[in-house]
Amino acid sequence: MSAPVVETHSLAKTYGLAPVLREVQLRLLAGAGAFIVGGNGAGKSTLLRMLAGLEAPSSGHALVFGQDTRRLAARYRRRIGLMAHQSFLYPNLTARENLEFYAELYSLGDPRASAHQWLGRVGLAHVADTRVRAFSRGMEQRLSAARAMLAEPALLLLDEPFASLDHDGAEIVAALIRGALERGASVLATAHAIPEIDGVEFAVFEISRGRLMQHTHKEEVRRGGRIRSLLGR
Amino acid sequence: MNNSAIRNWLGFSTLALMLASLFMVFDYVPPEADQGIAQLIFYFHVPLAWVAFASFGLVAIAGIFYLWLGDQLWDDLGYAAAETGMVFCTLMIVAGSIWAKPIWGTWWTWDSRLTMTFILWLMYGGYLMLRASADDTPAVARFGAVIGIVAALDVPLVIASVRLWRTIHPAVLVTKQGGHGLEDPRMVATLLMSLAAFTALWAWLLLLRFAQLRARSRMSRLASGVALAAAAASDTN
Amino acid sequence: MSGFAAVLRKDLRLELRSGESTLALLALSMLVLVVLVFALGAARVRSVDAAAGALWVAMVFAGMLGANRALLAERDNGAIRGLLLSPLDPATLYAAKLAAALIFMAVAEVGAVVLMVLFFNLEFDASIARLAPILVLGAIGFSALATLLSAITGRTRGGDMLLPILAVPIFVPALIAGVKASAAALAGAPLESMGDWLKIMIAFDVLFVTAGYLLFEHVVDED
Repeated sequence: MSAPVVETHSLAKTYGLAPVLREVQLRLLAGAGAFIVGGNGAGKSTLLRMLAGLEAPSSGHALVFGQDTRRLAARYRRRIGLMAHQSFLYPNLTARENLEFYAELYSLGDPRASAHQWLGRVGLAHVADTRVRAFSRGMEQRLSAARAMLAEPALLLLDEPFASLDHDGAEIVAALIRGALERGASVLATAHAIPEIDGVEFAVFEISRGRLMQHTHKEEVRRGGRIRSLLGR
Repeated sequence: MNNSAIRNWLGFSTLALMLASLFMVFDYVPPEADQGIAQLIFYFHVPLAWVAFASFGLVAIAGIFYLWLGDQLWDDLGYAAAETGMVFCTLMIVAGSIWAKPIWGTWWTWDSRLTMTFILWLMYGGYLMLRASADDTPAVARFGAVIGIVAALDVPLVIASVRLWRTIHPAVLVTKQGGHGLEDPRMVATLLMSLAAFTALWAWLLLLRFAQLRARSRMSRLASGVALAAAAASDTN
Repeated sequence: MSGFAAVLRKDLRLELRSGESTLALLALSMLVLVVLVFALGAARVRSVDAAAGALWVAMVFAGMLGANRALLAERDNGAIRGLLLSPLDPATLYAAKLAAALIFMAVAEVGAVVLMVLFFNLEFDASIARLAPILVLGAIGFSALATLLSAITGRTRGGDMLLPILAVPIFVPALIAGVKASAAALAGAPLESMGDWLKIMIAFDVLFVTAGYLLFEHVVDED
């Protein structure tokens, strides 16, 4: 059995006196997908940031690719893609320039080609040379997804990837997630409610009062229908 | 507890050394020929300078250990050294000013030593202001460590540049011999006693403050632990 | 290092596009010089000491503004996190930010020198050429220091106020050396005569570029 891509041991995070995450035990294998649902402030974003190595846990530890997230070497960081609430994009650069910059940062062979290809994949080819400051929230979100995925990371951490997206945008992101899983990447994403993505099986966890639990009432909570169920509703 | 026993012993030693030092300065040592009574400040000025600079060195060393080992203990030590050092640095500047008045007729002079101490004082001030303004960030200890290290590395350059700057202008010498060429062995003895007394005072205050900061750090850790436990307990209900 | 080039190119591109920073730097330099001219009075204006001093005051103020801006771009949309997450080494990020700050400061220096010559009734002759290496050394040192410090002050409440409070005392050796050497250069002295001052400036530069390179990762982590 292969080593898990993500593994946490009693991971906890406290901000001052407020415990946000407690005793989080999580294992994610290669090529597996999982969604973590929970309300606002439940700690979903904090968990993803810790797994990406951007924040240190208050206690316990997390291993990504077998490495402690507090000391992730560059070659492991290269294999992680994070999509967060903030887009990490430069408003005064165009969509193309943003992607080319990140492509160079991740030492991709042909930054121009990669940027061009991904702009097409997220349906932003027509605004490739427009500055990001002119983008709508949905467009920025799509570009952020492209940024997270363009280095074809082995682990995708997506924080509410469907937020602010219209129907077409959601379809695009769903297709990207499906594509990532198909090529063997692992995906760990968060959402407010359980999504349905055609042709994909994923595990569902819930964060409640700082604890992570495997979702038992999947059938009851699952909404009928497709991606529509996630959108505004 | 062992630590407070050490502190108490140190406190009493400080008292004894201080009394001895005061006696020597005011009763034992002969005043210097040209400057008269005011020159006696020298026996406070020099130890204060030594302590102010040494304390800053400690801030930097504690900073290095903190960045290397990550233990909060080093940050507490560095912060305590900064606060204590600031006190002595301020005293030195005040003492320097008090000395300047009768000797040179002005409240301040850009003598190389006073200038250096003033720059040091500004560095201490910057460090303390940084700590105060970032107190709520967990990264504040790292910031303090970096500032402390960077400033301490700079001090030799400050000393070199200020000395070079002052040699161009008419020198205002501290002692007649332009250094610490003390003629009378009684002067040397008095100086050494003063150094010992002030170093003890500094060490004592430093340890007191350090103990306070450590207690505070321990308390926050305990508080977080309690909060986690309380949340876990309420879970099982 | 592709990362270094990518970050530097991005910063220069952003700057050329908005242009605010460079304009602000030039404007600030000019205003500082104007204030000093009035403050020092007509008699002093003819002295090279005053000119050198005014130049360095303008440079320090402009340098502080420039350093702040260098890291400001990363605050938009949390871009700094994107950088930290990437394989880019924090030390390489420092080098790129230092290079950007240096370029901005160099532009400001050129403007300040021109204004200094005009306001202080000097000549555009060989003494200005001798000034160049001194100003370059000063810019390197100040940019190295300010880039490291602004990563810290940018994340504290004191923020903009704290940067000068921390930077100025630490910059003193290079400031003293720079002003003295500049005044000597303007007065016609050859560079060999300023050996001691130049040595101090070089030592400062080496110290702070190295310190920045090694310590930057500790201050830029998001935590």
